Amino acid sequence: MDKGYIENGFIVDVSNAHKTSEIIYELSRILDLPDAQSKKVCLKLGSVDLSVPELTSIKALVESMNSEIEFVSTSSNVTIKSAGEMDIEVSVLENKVPLPEFNANQDKVNKELEKALDKIFGDENSEIKTFPAESTLTELKKEVPQEYEFEENIENDDINTEIEDLNSESDELKGETEITEETSDVKTEEKAEEIFEKEIDDEELIKHLRETEKLPTLYIQRTLRSGQSITSDGNIVIIGDANPGSEIIARGDITVWGILGGIAHAGSEGNSYARIRALKMNAIQLRIADVFARRPDSINIPYIQKTDTFVPEVASVRKKQIIIQKLH
Amino acid sequence: MSGRVIVITSGKGGVGKTTTNANIGTALASMGKKVVMVDTDLGLRNLDLLLGLENRIVYTIVDVVEERCKLKQALVKDKKNPNLCLLAAAQTRDKTAVTEEQLKDICEKLKKDFDFILVDCPAGIEQGFQNAVAGASEAIVVTTPEMSAVRDADRIIGLLEAKEEITSYKLLLNRVRPNLIKSNDMMSVDDVVEILSAELIGIIPEDTGIITSTNKGEPIVNDEKSLAGQAYRNVARRIAGEDVPFLDLEEPKGVLAKVKKFFSGLKGKEK
Repeated sequence: MDKGYIENGFIVDVSNAHKTSEIIYELSRILDLPDAQSKKVCLKLGSVDLSVPELTSIKALVESMNSEIEFVSTSSNVTIKSAGEMDIEVSVLENKVPLPEFNANQDKVNKELEKALDKIFGDENSEIKTFPAESTLTELKKEVPQEYEFEENIENDDINTEIEDLNSESDELKGETEITEETSDVKTEEKAEEIFEKEIDDEELIKHLRETEKLPTLYIQRTLRSGQSITSDGNIVIIGDANPGSEIIARGDITVWGILGGIAHAGSEGNSYARIRALKMNAIQLRIADVFARRPDSINIPYIQKTDTFVPEVASVRKKQIIIQKLH
Repeated sequence: MSGRVIVITSGKGGVGKTTTNANIGTALASMGKKVVMVDTDLGLRNLDLLLGLENRIVYTIVDVVEERCKLKQALVKDKKNPNLCLLAAAQTRDKTAVTEEQLKDICEKLKKDFDFILVDCPAGIEQGFQNAVAGASEAIVVTTPEMSAVRDADRIIGLLEAKEEITSYKLLLNRVRPNLIKSNDMMSVDDVVEILSAELIGIIPEDTGIITSTNKGEPIVNDEKSLAGQAYRNVARRIAGEDVPFLDLEEPKGVLAKVKKFFSGLKGKEK
């Protein structure tokens, strides 16, 4: 009887071994793993000739590790004979698990993959084309007032002088929120349309967005923790979260495959076409070139619940303001 | 204007230095004083979080020291109280980014514009502590009624006494649990004062509201009902020079006592 797989067991492939000692060494190493305890073992032995005593010692080893030999697979007649004398089943290994069939048209797959990647990485080009103009607009309208408050140009002297004037501090704060309200309701509704219409035709913009493609990319596969700061002359991609208190500064784009909870500064050398992307945007502050936005006090929560239904978000600069769009 | 520079320190971590700083600062500011809080806990800053100002920090004390911005640019104003400012610590740097001289200089400059400069000191007695103390002339030593905290407070007081610039230090006893003291399971206030032989400036009862207030980024002094908030307000008044009696933390026991308390509370309100 041929067996392709074993229930509650696994296959140990030692077909490359030429000596019994090699088989024993490999077996003892594998069976020592915690997951390998109390399981059935199939030995794939290859062409090596094993006598009855040799096979006995291998069997004893397997049994001493709380496992048992289910069957062996071998191409050697000597081993088959030895196994027969010891009542060990000999079988041929065949992979009977059906392979998934790929019937799909390769072109179509590629296209879909590209589209999906574009969505994830927010390729502006395809995003604009695939979005119905109307829904994008409502998106904009919704996003702007809710998500972030805006401040222009941190380095700007206006604000510096405002801050300097300690006596009128409360007034300044009021001014700040007023700006937000103004931008949120009336203005964006009309202007968003205008801006968007313009951008669709604007090949210049697409060219600008492609600028960051030329930069090198720093690729980080871990969680960025509080106090850690990453600065790069190119783009930064983080697979993991950027926790509150962390800082990411990049000359190009910033992409966080996780929750962005710290400070992110894209286009640090002044490229206002740089983007910040994250699976969940919870940044304390977002900075693109010299434009600056901070998390509104109403949702000023340092840590947010992790779920499996994050909608990727992208932050960009439009009309000297940072806006955040959800990528559906 | 020449402000008072008060360092809030403890030696041991987790006894409530930052909470004390945020609450006393807020209380003093709501009394109409101009207050600036300086977080010197570089690399482990928390004061901004307690005040809910994390999202407003653009420049930090390190930016000031390294002359990337002016001192006044780095001052973050409180959301509610215009009298209250915060000079935040840098999160991505360590204690060596600032020297004692530089902190002294910053405190001197702040003295001109503020009544109170509250310096939040990091735990430990290393460079961070030395920096925080450098510009101060007064100190508040925060401790809890635990042997380890009292021992560390004793060590800190020793260090403070050795500093010429520190003219006075006061003791603030935090996280006091009257019922535990009563059952002899906790050192009493008198015990701690006796061991440390230092003048007491406040007794703060343990209050679960502190946890919620910390998470919300809202100091507990803003909560009129909280006993701990009341205690912190009293500390602020004492710092400002008022003579305020210590709160009676003993919860009255029995029905009669509760009724009595209820009526005395009513009387208080009528006044």
